[in-house]
Amino acid sequence: MAEVFFFLAAIGAIGGAAGTVMLRDAFYSVLALVTHLIFLAMLFLLLRAEFVAAAQVIVYAGAVMVLYVFVVGYVGGLEAGLAGRSGPALRVISVLFALVLFVELAIALIGTGLEALDSEGAPYVPGFGEPSRIGELFLTDYLVAFEVASLLLLVAAVGAVILARRRTGLADPREVSVTEFMKRDEVTKGEGETGTMIEAGGPRDI
Amino acid sequence: MPVFGEIGYYEPWWMQLAKAVAIFLVVFNMVPLALLADRKLLGRFQNRYGPTRVGPFGALQAVADIGKLLFKQQFVPQDSRKWLFIVAPVISMVTAAATLAIIPFSDTVDIFGTKTGLYGVDPSIGILFAFAFGGIAFYGLMLGGWSSNSKYSFLGSMRSAAQLISYEIAQGLSIIGVIMMVGSLSLVDIVQWQEEHFWLFGPQFVGWLIFLVAGFAETNRPPFDLPEAEAELVGGYFTEYGGGRFAAFFAAEYLNMVVVSLLFTTIFWGGWDVPLWDQPNWIEPIVVLLKMWVFIFFFIWVRATLPRLRYDQLMSFGWKILLPLATLNALVTAVLVVVLD
Repeated sequence: MAEVFFFLAAIGAIGGAAGTVMLRDAFYSVLALVTHLIFLAMLFLLLRAEFVAAAQVIVYAGAVMVLYVFVVGYVGGLEAGLAGRSGPALRVISVLFALVLFVELAIALIGTGLEALDSEGAPYVPGFGEPSRIGELFLTDYLVAFEVASLLLLVAAVGAVILARRRTGLADPREVSVTEFMKRDEVTKGEGETGTMIEAGGPRDI
Repeated sequence: MPVFGEIGYYEPWWMQLAKAVAIFLVVFNMVPLALLADRKLLGRFQNRYGPTRVGPFGALQAVADIGKLLFKQQFVPQDSRKWLFIVAPVISMVTAAATLAIIPFSDTVDIFGTKTGLYGVDPSIGILFAFAFGGIAFYGLMLGGWSSNSKYSFLGSMRSAAQLISYEIAQGLSIIGVIMMVGSLSLVDIVQWQEEHFWLFGPQFVGWLIFLVAGFAETNRPPFDLPEAEAELVGGYFTEYGGGRFAAFFAAEYLNMVVVSLLFTTIFWGGWDVPLWDQPNWIEPIVVLLKMWVFIFFFIWVRATLPRLRYDQLMSFGWKILLPLATLNALVTAVLVVVLD
Protein backbone atom coordinates (compact mmCIF):
# COMPACT_ATOMS: atom_id res chain seq x y z
CA MET A 1 0.00 0.00 0.00
CA ALA A 2 2.81 2.38 0.91
CA GLU A 3 4.36 1.85 -2.54
CA VAL A 4 1.15 2.90 -4.27
CA PHE A 5 0.99 6.06 -2.21
CA PHE A 6 4.67 6.74 -2.77
CA PHE A 7 4.35 6.64 -6.54
CA LEU A 8 1.14 8.65 -6.41
CA ALA A 9 2.82 11.33 -4.31
CA ALA A 10 6.05 11.26 -6.31
CA ILE A 11 4.27 11.61 -9.64
CA GLY A 12 2.12 14.37 -8.19
CA ALA A 13 5.12 16.23 -6.81
CA ILE A 14 7.07 16.02 -10.06
CA GLY A 15 4.01 16.91 -12.11
CA GLY A 16 3.33 19.91 -9.90
CA ALA A 17 6.92 21.09 -10.13
CA ALA A 18 6.93 20.70 -13.91
CA GLY A 19 3.62 22.53 -14.13
CA THR A 20 4.98 25.42 -12.07
CA VAL A 21 7.73 25.98 -14.59
CA MET A 22 5.89 25.18 -17.80
CA LEU A 23 2.41 26.66 -17.41
CA ARG A 24 2.03 30.01 -19.15
CA ASP A 25 -0.73 31.40 -16.99
CA ALA A 26 0.69 32.70 -13.71
CA PHE A 27 -2.41 31.67 -11.78
CA TYR A 28 -2.21 28.07 -12.92
CA SER A 29 1.51 28.12 -12.27
CA VAL A 30 0.90 29.08 -8.65
CA LEU A 31 -1.78 26.41 -8.34
CA ALA A 32 0.66 23.83 -9.71
CA LEU A 33 3.11 24.89 -7.00
CA VAL A 34 0.41 24.39 -4.37
CA THR A 35 -0.26 20.87 -5.69
CA HIS A 36 3.45 20.20 -5.61
CA LEU A 37 3.68 21.29 -1.97
CA ILE A 38 0.71 19.18 -0.93
CA PHE A 39 2.15 16.07 -2.59
CA LEU A 40 5.49 16.80 -0.89
CA ALA A 41 3.62 16.79 2.42
CA MET A 42 2.26 13.37 1.44
CA LEU A 43 5.83 12.15 0.91
CA PHE A 44 6.76 13.46 4.35
CA LEU A 45 3.81 11.55 5.80
CA LEU A 46 5.06 8.37 4.14
CA LEU A 47 8.39 8.99 5.87
CA ARG A 48 6.41 9.29 9.11
CA ALA A 49 7.42 12.91 9.58
CA GLU A 50 3.91 13.95 10.62
CA PHE A 51 4.87 17.28 12.06
CA VAL A 52 6.92 18.28 9.04
CA ALA A 53 4.02 17.32 6.78
CA ALA A 54 1.56 19.40 8.81
CA ALA A 55 3.94 22.35 8.94
CA GLN A 56 4.49 22.07 5.20
CA VAL A 57 0.77 22.29 4.48
CA ILE A 58 -0.02 24.96 7.09
CA VAL A 59 2.93 27.25 6.38
CA TYR A 60 3.52 26.82 2.66
CA ALA A 61 0.22 25.73 1.13
CA GLY A 62 -1.93 27.47 3.74
CA ALA A 63 -0.12 30.78 4.21
CA VAL A 64 2.71 31.56 1.81
CA MET A 65 0.99 30.31 -1.31
CA VAL A 66 -2.24 32.00 -0.27
CA LEU A 67 -0.43 35.32 -0.58
CA TYR A 68 0.88 34.29 -4.01
CA VAL A 69 -2.64 33.45 -5.12
CA PHE A 70 -3.80 36.73 -3.66
CA VAL A 71 -1.25 38.76 -5.60
CA VAL A 72 -1.66 36.90 -8.88
CA GLY A 73 -5.42 37.07 -8.49
CA TYR A 74 -5.32 40.84 -8.12
CA VAL A 75 -2.65 41.59 -10.69
CA GLY A 76 -4.21 39.17 -13.14
CA GLY A 77 -2.20 36.36 -14.64
CA LEU A 78 -4.45 35.81 -17.62
CA GLU A 79 -3.63 38.73 -19.87
CA ALA A 80 -0.12 39.37 -18.66
CA GLY A 81 1.10 35.81 -19.06
CA LEU A 82 4.65 34.90 -18.24
CA ALA A 83 6.32 35.64 -21.57
CA GLY A 84 9.70 37.04 -20.65
CA ARG A 85 12.71 37.83 -22.75
CA SER A 86 13.86 35.00 -24.90
CA GLY A 87 16.71 34.37 -27.31
CA PRO A 88 19.34 31.85 -28.32
CA ALA A 89 21.88 33.02 -25.71
CA LEU A 90 19.36 32.68 -22.88
CA ARG A 91 18.35 29.25 -24.12
CA VAL A 92 21.94 28.00 -24.14
CA ILE A 93 22.59 29.40 -20.67
CA SER A 94 19.43 27.85 -19.25
CA VAL A 95 20.36 24.44 -20.63
CA LEU A 96 23.87 24.86 -19.21
CA PHE A 97 22.51 25.69 -15.75
CA ALA A 98 20.17 22.72 -15.88
CA LEU A 99 23.10 20.47 -16.79
CA VAL A 100 25.23 21.84 -13.94
CA LEU A 101 22.40 21.28 -11.48
CA PHE A 102 21.86 17.76 -12.77
CA VAL A 103 25.57 16.91 -12.45
CA GLU A 104 25.66 18.34 -8.93
CA LEU A 105 22.64 16.31 -7.86
CA ALA A 106 24.03 13.20 -9.53
CA ILE A 107 27.33 13.61 -7.66
CA ALA A 108 25.50 14.04 -4.37
CA LEU A 109 23.37 10.98 -5.08
CA ILE A 110 26.13 8.68 -6.28
CA GLY A 111 28.40 9.99 -3.53
CA THR A 112 26.30 8.14 -1.00
CA GLY A 113 27.24 4.91 -2.77
CA LEU A 114 23.54 4.06 -3.03
CA GLU A 115 24.05 1.82 -0.01
CA ALA A 116 20.46 2.04 1.10
CA LEU A 117 19.18 0.36 -2.09
CA ASP A 118 19.64 -3.18 -0.81
CA SER A 119 18.58 -2.48 2.75
CA GLU A 120 15.21 -1.96 4.37
CA GLY A 121 15.95 1.68 5.04
CA ALA A 122 16.22 3.37 8.39
CA PRO A 123 14.29 1.54 11.12
CA TYR A 124 11.19 3.21 12.51
CA VAL A 125 11.50 4.30 16.11
CA PRO A 126 8.16 4.91 17.86
CA GLY A 127 7.76 8.59 18.56
CA PHE A 128 9.86 9.61 15.56
CA GLY A 129 8.62 12.77 13.90
CA GLU A 130 6.23 13.62 16.71
CA PRO A 131 5.91 17.28 17.70
CA SER A 132 7.28 16.62 21.19
CA ARG A 133 10.42 14.99 19.81
CA ILE A 134 10.98 17.80 17.34
CA GLY A 135 10.41 20.42 20.02
CA GLU A 136 12.98 18.73 22.22
CA LEU A 137 15.55 18.77 19.41
CA PHE A 138 14.83 22.43 18.70
CA LEU A 139 15.50 23.39 22.31
CA THR A 140 18.59 21.24 22.79
CA ASP A 141 20.73 20.24 19.80
CA TYR A 142 19.57 22.87 17.35
CA LEU A 143 18.87 25.75 19.70
CA VAL A 144 21.27 28.20 18.02
CA ALA A 145 20.07 27.44 14.50
CA PHE A 146 16.46 27.70 15.68
CA GLU A 147 16.98 31.05 17.38
CA VAL A 148 19.00 32.47 14.48
CA ALA A 149 16.26 31.44 12.04
CA SER A 150 13.58 33.08 14.17
CA LEU A 151 15.72 36.24 14.46
CA LEU A 152 16.05 36.29 10.69
CA LEU A 153 12.29 36.04 10.28
CA LEU A 154 11.80 38.79 12.86
CA VAL A 155 14.18 41.07 10.95
CA ALA A 156 12.31 40.32 7.74
CA ALA A 157 8.96 41.07 9.36
CA VAL A 158 10.18 44.37 10.82
CA GLY A 159 11.71 45.26 7.47
CA ALA A 160 8.42 44.57 5.70
CA VAL A 161 6.55 46.78 8.15
CA ILE A 162 9.04 49.61 7.71
CA LEU A 163 9.02 49.37 3.92
CA ALA A 164 5.23 49.33 3.77
CA ARG A 165 4.54 51.93 6.46
CA ARG A 166 2.67 55.09 5.70
CA ARG A 167 5.19 57.87 5.37
CA THR A 168 4.18 61.23 6.76
CA GLY A 169 4.04 64.01 4.22
CA LEU A 170 3.48 61.72 1.31
CA ALA A 171 -0.20 61.05 1.95
CA ASP A 172 -2.47 61.50 -1.01
CA PRO A 173 -4.50 64.70 -0.43
CA ARG A 174 -7.47 63.05 -2.12
CA GLU A 175 -7.45 60.36 0.52
CA VAL A 176 -10.28 60.85 3.02
CA SER A 177 -10.89 58.74 6.06
CA VAL A 178 -14.48 57.63 6.52
CA THR A 179 -14.52 58.82 10.13
CA GLU A 180 -13.34 62.30 9.21
CA PHE A 181 -15.80 62.46 6.36
CA MET A 182 -18.72 61.60 8.59
CA LYS A 183 -17.79 64.43 10.98
CA ARG A 184 -17.94 67.06 8.25
CA ASP A 185 -20.52 69.79 8.47
CA GLU A 186 -22.27 68.89 5.24
CA VAL A 187 -22.93 65.48 6.69
CA THR A 188 -23.81 66.27 10.29
CA LYS A 189 -25.56 69.57 9.68
CA GLY A 190 -26.84 68.81 6.23
CA GLU A 191 -30.39 69.14 5.19
CA GLY A 192 -31.57 66.05 6.89
CA GLU A 193 -34.92 65.61 5.31
CA THR A 194 -37.42 63.35 6.89
CA GLY A 195 -36.84 59.72 6.26
CA THR A 196 -33.11 59.96 5.62
CA MET A 197 -30.37 58.22 7.55
CA ILE A 198 -29.01 61.53 8.80
CA GLU A 199 -32.30 62.34 10.37
CA ALA A 200 -32.26 58.99 12.06
CA GLY A 201 -29.21 60.23 13.97
CA GLY A 202 -26.75 58.15 11.97
CA PRO A 203 -23.30 59.62 11.90
CA ARG A 204 -23.16 61.69 15.05
CA ASP A 205 -21.39 59.50 17.60
CA ILE A 206 -18.41 58.40 15.58
CA MET B 1 0.84 -5.03 16.14
CA PRO B 2 -0.34 -3.51 12.86
CA VAL B 3 2.00 -1.17 11.02
CA PHE B 4 0.34 2.00 12.19
CA GLY B 5 -0.19 0.73 15.74
CA GLU B 6 2.12 3.31 17.23
CA ILE B 7 0.12 6.21 15.94
CA GLY B 8 -3.29 5.10 17.03
CA TYR B 9 -4.48 2.90 14.18
CA TYR B 10 -4.88 -0.26 16.15
CA GLU B 11 -8.12 -1.41 14.60
CA PRO B 12 -8.43 -3.93 11.77
CA TRP B 13 -9.16 -2.40 8.37
CA TRP B 14 -12.88 -3.22 8.39
CA MET B 15 -13.34 -1.45 11.69
CA GLN B 16 -11.56 1.64 10.34
CA LEU B 17 -13.89 1.65 7.36
CA ALA B 18 -16.96 1.07 9.50
CA LYS B 19 -16.21 3.86 11.93
CA ALA B 20 -15.22 6.26 9.15
CA VAL B 21 -18.61 5.70 7.52
CA ALA B 22 -20.45 5.88 10.85
CA ILE B 23 -18.80 9.13 11.97
CA PHE B 24 -19.30 10.74 8.59
CA LEU B 25 -22.95 9.72 8.37
CA VAL B 26 -23.82 10.82 11.88
CA VAL B 27 -22.09 14.19 11.70
CA PHE B 28 -23.04 14.90 8.11
CA ASN B 29 -26.67 14.44 9.06
CA MET B 30 -26.21 17.27 11.52
CA VAL B 31 -25.91 19.60 8.52
CA PRO B 32 -29.58 19.58 7.44
CA LEU B 33 -30.55 19.67 11.11
CA ALA B 34 -28.35 22.73 11.64
CA LEU B 35 -29.87 24.28 8.53
CA LEU B 36 -33.36 23.69 9.87
CA ALA B 37 -32.42 24.92 13.34
CA ASP B 38 -30.93 28.02 11.77
CA ARG B 39 -34.14 28.87 9.95
CA LYS B 40 -36.54 27.94 12.73
CA LEU B 41 -34.60 29.65 15.50
CA LEU B 42 -33.88 32.75 13.42
CA GLY B 43 -37.61 32.95 12.89
CA ARG B 44 -38.28 32.73 16.60
CA PHE B 45 -35.60 35.30 17.41
CA GLN B 46 -37.23 37.68 14.95
CA ASN B 47 -40.75 37.09 16.21
CA ARG B 48 -41.97 35.01 13.31
CA TYR B 49 -42.58 31.33 12.78
CA GLY B 50 -39.86 30.34 10.33
CA PRO B 51 -40.69 27.56 7.85
CA THR B 52 -43.95 25.80 8.69
CA ARG B 53 -45.25 24.30 5.46
CA VAL B 54 -43.12 21.25 4.65
CA GLY B 55 -43.72 18.37 7.02
CA PRO B 56 -44.84 18.71 10.65
CA PHE B 57 -43.80 22.16 11.98
CA GLY B 58 -41.75 22.62 8.80
CA ALA B 59 -39.38 19.89 9.92
CA LEU B 60 -38.70 18.70 6.37
CA GLN B 61 -37.83 22.15 5.06
CA ALA B 62 -34.09 21.42 4.91
CA VAL B 63 -34.68 18.19 2.99
CA ALA B 64 -36.92 20.04 0.55
CA ASP B 65 -34.28 22.77 0.08
CA ILE B 66 -31.54 20.26 -0.60
CA GLY B 67 -33.75 18.23 -2.91
CA LYS B 68 -34.64 21.34 -4.88
CA LEU B 69 -30.98 22.33 -5.25
CA LEU B 70 -29.85 18.88 -6.32
CA PHE B 71 -32.45 18.64 -9.09
CA LYS B 72 -31.64 22.02 -10.56
CA GLN B 73 -29.59 22.44 -13.71
CA GLN B 74 -25.83 22.03 -13.24
CA PHE B 75 -24.89 25.38 -14.67
CA VAL B 76 -21.36 26.48 -15.58
CA PRO B 77 -20.94 30.08 -16.79
CA GLN B 78 -19.51 30.41 -20.26
CA ASP B 79 -16.57 32.66 -19.36
CA SER B 80 -15.56 30.76 -16.26
CA ARG B 81 -12.51 28.57 -15.90
CA LYS B 82 -14.51 25.41 -16.29
CA TRP B 83 -12.64 22.75 -14.40
CA LEU B 84 -11.59 25.06 -11.56
CA PHE B 85 -15.22 26.11 -11.28
CA ILE B 86 -16.19 22.47 -10.90
CA VAL B 87 -13.35 21.53 -8.54
CA ALA B 88 -13.77 24.44 -6.09
CA PRO B 89 -16.91 23.20 -4.25
CA VAL B 90 -15.36 19.75 -4.04
CA ILE B 91 -12.31 21.18 -2.25
CA SER B 92 -14.56 23.05 0.18
CA MET B 93 -16.56 19.93 0.92
CA VAL B 94 -13.60 17.57 1.27
CA THR B 95 -11.63 19.83 3.59
CA ALA B 96 -14.68 20.47 5.76
CA ALA B 97 -15.33 16.75 6.10
CA ALA B 98 -11.66 15.80 6.59
CA THR B 99 -11.42 17.54 9.95
CA LEU B 100 -14.07 15.17 11.29
CA ALA B 101 -11.44 12.45 11.34
CA ILE B 102 -9.71 13.76 14.45
CA ILE B 103 -12.75 14.60 16.57
CA PRO B 104 -12.90 12.14 19.49
CA PHE B 105 -16.39 10.97 20.44
CA SER B 106 -15.23 8.61 23.15
CA ASP B 107 -12.17 6.83 24.45
CA THR B 108 -11.09 3.38 23.29
CA VAL B 109 -14.06 1.04 23.72
CA ASP B 110 -14.71 -2.64 23.23
CA ILE B 111 -16.99 -3.36 20.25
CA PHE B 112 -17.67 -7.12 19.94
CA GLY B 113 -14.20 -7.88 21.23
CA THR B 114 -12.44 -5.39 18.97
CA LYS B 115 -10.72 -2.52 20.70
CA THR B 116 -11.83 0.61 18.90
CA GLY B 117 -11.17 4.28 19.47
CA LEU B 118 -14.35 6.20 18.77
CA TYR B 119 -12.57 8.69 16.54
CA GLY B 120 -11.25 8.53 12.98
CA VAL B 121 -7.57 8.84 13.76
CA ASP B 122 -5.53 10.16 16.65
CA PRO B 123 -2.38 11.50 15.01
CA SER B 124 0.38 13.02 17.10
CA ILE B 125 -0.08 16.31 15.28
CA GLY B 126 -3.69 16.40 16.50
CA ILE B 127 -5.09 19.87 16.14
CA LEU B 128 -2.51 20.81 13.48
CA PHE B 129 -4.36 18.36 11.24
CA ALA B 130 -7.42 20.59 11.48
CA PHE B 131 -5.37 23.69 10.74
CA ALA B 132 -3.75 22.02 7.73
CA PHE B 133 -7.14 21.31 6.19
CA GLY B 134 -8.30 24.76 7.18
CA GLY B 135 -5.41 26.10 5.14
CA ILE B 136 -6.43 24.07 2.11
CA ALA B 137 -10.10 25.01 2.56
CA PHE B 138 -9.13 28.52 1.55
CA TYR B 139 -8.49 27.30 -2.00
CA GLY B 140 -12.09 26.14 -2.29
CA LEU B 141 -13.39 29.67 -1.69
CA MET B 142 -10.61 31.36 -3.61
CA LEU B 143 -10.83 29.18 -6.71
CA GLY B 144 -14.62 29.36 -6.63
CA GLY B 145 -14.48 33.15 -6.65
CA TRP B 146 -11.68 33.50 -9.16
CA SER B 147 -12.84 30.92 -11.66
CA SER B 148 -16.36 32.42 -11.83
CA ASN B 149 -14.88 35.38 -13.70
CA SER B 150 -17.21 37.82 -11.99
CA LYS B 151 -16.30 40.91 -9.99
CA TYR B 152 -18.64 40.11 -7.11
CA SER B 153 -17.36 36.57 -6.77
CA PHE B 154 -13.77 37.71 -6.99
CA LEU B 155 -14.14 40.45 -4.38
CA GLY B 156 -15.97 38.03 -2.12
CA SER B 157 -13.22 35.46 -2.36
CA MET B 158 -10.53 38.09 -1.81
CA ARG B 159 -12.29 39.21 1.35
CA SER B 160 -12.58 35.68 2.57
CA ALA B 161 -8.90 35.10 1.82
CA ALA B 162 -7.81 38.07 3.90
CA GLN B 163 -10.25 37.18 6.65
CA LEU B 164 -9.25 33.53 6.87
CA ILE B 165 -5.53 34.34 6.97
CA SER B 166 -5.95 37.01 9.63
CA TYR B 167 -8.05 34.94 11.97
CA GLU B 168 -6.21 31.67 11.43
CA ILE B 169 -3.16 33.19 13.13
CA ALA B 170 -5.13 34.32 16.17
CA GLN B 171 -6.90 30.97 16.31
CA GLY B 172 -3.64 29.06 16.16
CA LEU B 173 -2.08 31.17 18.89
CA SER B 174 -5.14 30.93 21.13
CA ILE B 175 -4.82 27.19 21.66
CA ILE B 176 -1.09 27.27 22.47
CA GLY B 177 -2.06 27.79 26.10
CA VAL B 178 -4.11 24.60 26.04
CA ILE B 179 -1.31 22.69 24.37
CA MET B 180 1.17 23.86 26.98
CA MET B 181 -1.09 22.88 29.87
CA VAL B 182 -1.90 19.47 28.45
CA GLY B 183 1.50 18.80 26.93
CA SER B 184 0.08 17.20 23.80
CA LEU B 185 -1.45 18.22 20.50
CA SER B 186 -3.68 15.16 20.28
CA LEU B 187 -7.37 15.89 20.85
CA VAL B 188 -7.83 12.57 22.64
CA ASP B 189 -5.09 13.51 25.10
CA ILE B 190 -6.63 16.93 25.59
CA VAL B 191 -10.01 15.43 26.47
CA GLN B 192 -8.45 12.80 28.75
CA TRP B 193 -6.53 15.53 30.55
CA GLN B 194 -9.74 17.48 31.07
CA GLU B 195 -11.41 14.33 32.38
CA GLU B 196 -8.69 13.96 35.03
CA HIS B 197 -8.32 17.62 35.94
CA PHE B 198 -10.85 20.26 34.92
CA TRP B 199 -12.42 21.67 31.79
CA LEU B 200 -10.10 24.08 30.06
CA PHE B 201 -12.47 26.95 29.35
CA GLY B 202 -11.93 28.12 32.94
CA PRO B 203 -8.16 28.44 33.18
CA GLN B 204 -7.90 29.23 29.47
CA PHE B 205 -10.80 31.65 29.41
CA VAL B 206 -9.08 34.25 27.23
CA GLY B 207 -7.83 31.56 24.86
CA TRP B 208 -11.34 30.16 24.66
CA LEU B 209 -12.86 33.54 23.84
CA ILE B 210 -10.30 34.17 21.10
CA PHE B 211 -10.83 30.70 19.68
CA LEU B 212 -14.58 31.28 19.74
CA VAL B 213 -14.41 34.61 17.93
CA ALA B 214 -11.86 33.33 15.42
CA GLY B 215 -14.06 30.28 14.91
CA PHE B 216 -16.93 32.55 13.91
CA ALA B 217 -14.65 34.32 11.45
CA GLU B 218 -13.22 31.09 10.05
CA THR B 219 -16.65 29.70 9.28
CA ASN B 220 -17.81 32.97 7.68
CA ARG B 221 -20.77 33.12 10.03
CA PRO B 222 -22.34 36.42 11.05
CA PRO B 223 -21.15 38.86 12.35
CA PHE B 224 -18.10 37.97 10.24
CA ASP B 225 -19.96 36.99 7.07
CA LEU B 226 -18.25 39.62 4.94
CA PRO B 227 -17.26 37.23 2.15
CA GLU B 228 -20.92 36.80 1.30
CA ALA B 229 -22.37 40.11 2.44
CA GLU B 230 -25.56 40.15 0.39
CA ALA B 231 -26.00 43.89 0.41
CA GLU B 232 -22.55 44.53 -1.02
CA LEU B 233 -21.49 41.47 -2.95
CA VAL B 234 -24.70 39.71 -4.04
CA GLY B 235 -23.58 36.33 -2.74
CA GLY B 236 -19.82 36.52 -2.34
CA TYR B 237 -17.64 33.81 -3.79
CA PHE B 238 -20.60 31.63 -4.79
CA THR B 239 -22.55 34.30 -6.66
CA GLU B 240 -22.23 32.42 -9.95
CA TYR B 241 -22.99 29.02 -8.48
CA GLY B 242 -26.32 27.24 -8.62
CA GLY B 243 -27.83 23.84 -8.10
CA GLY B 244 -25.73 21.05 -6.68
CA ARG B 245 -22.49 23.02 -6.63
CA PHE B 246 -24.09 25.81 -4.64
CA ALA B 247 -25.51 23.16 -2.33
CA ALA B 248 -21.97 21.82 -1.85
CA PHE B 249 -20.65 25.25 -0.83
CA PHE B 250 -23.63 25.78 1.42
CA ALA B 251 -23.33 22.38 3.05
CA ALA B 252 -19.59 22.90 3.50
CA GLU B 253 -20.31 26.12 5.36
CA TYR B 254 -22.71 24.43 7.73
CA LEU B 255 -20.42 21.43 8.08
CA ASN B 256 -17.64 23.86 9.05
CA MET B 257 -19.92 25.28 11.70
CA VAL B 258 -20.59 21.78 13.02
CA VAL B 259 -16.89 20.92 12.99
CA VAL B 260 -15.89 24.13 14.76
CA SER B 261 -18.58 23.49 17.38
CA LEU B 262 -17.10 20.03 17.87
CA LEU B 263 -13.64 21.59 18.26
CA PHE B 264 -14.95 24.05 20.87
CA THR B 265 -16.46 21.08 22.69
CA THR B 266 -13.38 18.87 22.63
CA ILE B 267 -10.69 21.46 23.28
CA PHE B 268 -12.36 23.64 25.89
CA TRP B 269 -15.53 21.98 27.16
CA GLY B 270 -14.31 18.57 28.21
CA GLY B 271 -15.30 16.60 25.11
CA TRP B 272 -17.13 13.45 26.20
CA ASP B 273 -16.63 14.18 29.90
CA VAL B 274 -19.57 14.79 32.22
CA PRO B 275 -18.36 16.29 35.51
CA LEU B 276 -19.14 14.52 38.79
CA TRP B 277 -20.45 11.45 37.01
CA ASP B 278 -18.67 8.30 35.91
CA GLN B 279 -20.63 8.06 32.68
CA PRO B 280 -20.95 4.79 30.73
CA ASN B 281 -19.15 4.63 27.38
CA TRP B 282 -22.22 4.46 25.18
CA ILE B 283 -23.47 7.83 26.39
CA GLU B 284 -20.25 9.68 25.59
CA PRO B 285 -20.85 10.29 21.85
CA ILE B 286 -24.30 11.64 22.76
CA VAL B 287 -22.71 13.99 25.29
CA VAL B 288 -20.32 15.29 22.63
CA LEU B 289 -23.19 15.86 20.20
CA LEU B 290 -25.30 17.60 22.85
CA LYS B 291 -22.48 19.98 23.73
CA MET B 292 -22.00 20.59 20.02
CA TRP B 293 -25.66 21.60 19.72
CA VAL B 294 -25.21 24.14 22.50
CA PHE B 295 -22.58 25.85 20.39
CA ILE B 296 -24.61 25.61 17.21
CA PHE B 297 -27.45 27.30 19.09
CA PHE B 298 -24.95 29.96 20.15
CA PHE B 299 -23.88 30.46 16.53
CA ILE B 300 -27.50 31.03 15.51
CA TRP B 301 -28.17 33.26 18.50
CA VAL B 302 -25.23 35.49 17.60
CA ARG B 303 -26.38 35.58 13.98
CA ALA B 304 -29.77 36.84 15.09
CA THR B 305 -28.27 39.39 17.47
CA LEU B 306 -25.22 41.13 16.04
CA PRO B 307 -24.96 43.24 12.88
CA ARG B 308 -22.19 42.63 10.38
CA LEU B 309 -18.82 44.27 11.01
CA ARG B 310 -17.37 46.75 8.58
CA TYR B 311 -14.35 45.46 6.65
CA ASP B 312 -11.75 47.70 8.33
CA GLN B 313 -13.26 46.93 11.74
CA LEU B 314 -12.90 43.25 10.99
CA MET B 315 -9.26 43.59 10.01
CA SER B 316 -8.21 45.84 12.87
CA PHE B 317 -10.08 43.65 15.34
CA GLY B 318 -8.24 40.57 14.11
CA TRP B 319 -4.78 42.05 13.94
CA LYS B 320 -4.78 44.70 16.66
CA ILE B 321 -6.86 43.06 19.36
CA LEU B 322 -7.11 39.30 18.93
CA LEU B 323 -3.53 38.65 17.83
CA PRO B 324 -1.78 40.58 20.67
CA LEU B 325 -4.25 39.15 23.15
CA ALA B 326 -3.58 35.61 21.96
CA THR B 327 0.17 36.20 22.16
CA LEU B 328 -0.19 37.59 25.67
CA ASN B 329 -2.32 34.60 26.65
CA ALA B 330 0.34 32.19 25.39
CA LEU B 331 3.05 34.12 27.25
CA VAL B 332 1.19 34.29 30.57
CA THR B 333 0.24 30.61 30.33
CA ALA B 334 3.87 29.69 29.61
CA VAL B 335 5.06 31.56 32.71
CA LEU B 336 2.32 30.08 34.88
CA VAL B 337 2.94 26.54 33.65
CA VAL B 338 6.63 26.85 34.56
CA VAL B 339 5.98 28.54 37.91
CA LEU B 340 3.22 26.18 39.06
CA ASP B 341 5.10 23.03 38.07
